[in-house]
Amino acid sequence: MPDPSHVGRRYTAPGQQIDAGAAARLADAIAGPDPVREPGAVPPTFAAVYCMAPTLAQLLTDPEVGINLAGLIHGEQTFEWPAPVRPGDVVDASAEITSIESKRGMTFVRLAMEAVRPADQAVVCRGTSLMIVRAAA
Amino acid sequence: MTAPALAAVAVGDSIALLARTVTQEQIDAYAEASGDHNPIHVDPEFAVSVGLPGAIAHGLLEMGILADAVAAWAGGNANLLSLSCRFSKPLLAGDTIICTGTVIAIDDAEGIATLEVGASSDRGDRVLTNGRATVRLSR
Repeated sequence: MPDPSHVGRRYTAPGQQIDAGAAARLADAIAGPDPVREPGAVPPTFAAVYCMAPTLAQLLTDPEVGINLAGLIHGEQTFEWPAPVRPGDVVDASAEITSIESKRGMTFVRLAMEAVRPADQAVVCRGTSLMIVRAAA
Repeated sequence: MTAPALAAVAVGDSIALLARTVTQEQIDAYAEASGDHNPIHVDPEFAVSVGLPGAIAHGLLEMGILADAVAAWAGGNANLLSLSCRFSKPLLAGDTIICTGTVIAIDDAEGIATLEVGASSDRGDRVLTNGRATVRLSR
């Protein structure tokens, strides 16, 4: 189980490609039955793919933290987009565990994440996640 | 598409309500596109086995729909500067999500509007709460 000794752990995922096709597939999945609102644009929550997924995947498989995947709930999310990201961009993603608290049989893991475009050092996304881990039954 | 004009936006303005029915097919498509194949989203029987009423939408799919709702008001994705929310209640496959937003503050110097945003389901659950968005306005 995660415990406060894991605060400060950092996960890096350099070289994330902002792929036009992948962004379009996410926009299409979000639109569902509706037409895509802004064809060709990178949907804002594509940050889940280029920033969150590649770093979170490392946390979730970090054997020393030992998160029970079956008990995992996404509790809260914040995203900021200080600079626009475009298809063809390459960004370096990173995430850090900022706090871990246990209460009422649940563990609350907070993460801060960031994606930077090395070409111009622009921060294209900053985010925080709250992941709630229930103890294994 | 252009951002709403600073001079034309007032505290209390609302964005157009966006209602979208989220089918299992859409959740499956989101799982493929996002790479999040957690069985609570794509396997209804598994979801029931862990105490959920059925397969549930990814929180980030709901947040993506909320972003669509705010970006439509904002005149495009590029004018959406930030978005945050709490995933309070699950949205079940087949439910309709209804996204709303209201301007609660305007920073005249920076030309930025802050909106309180959120979403409920057609079964009356408040699925996205404590939501905030910031939008760049035009001058």
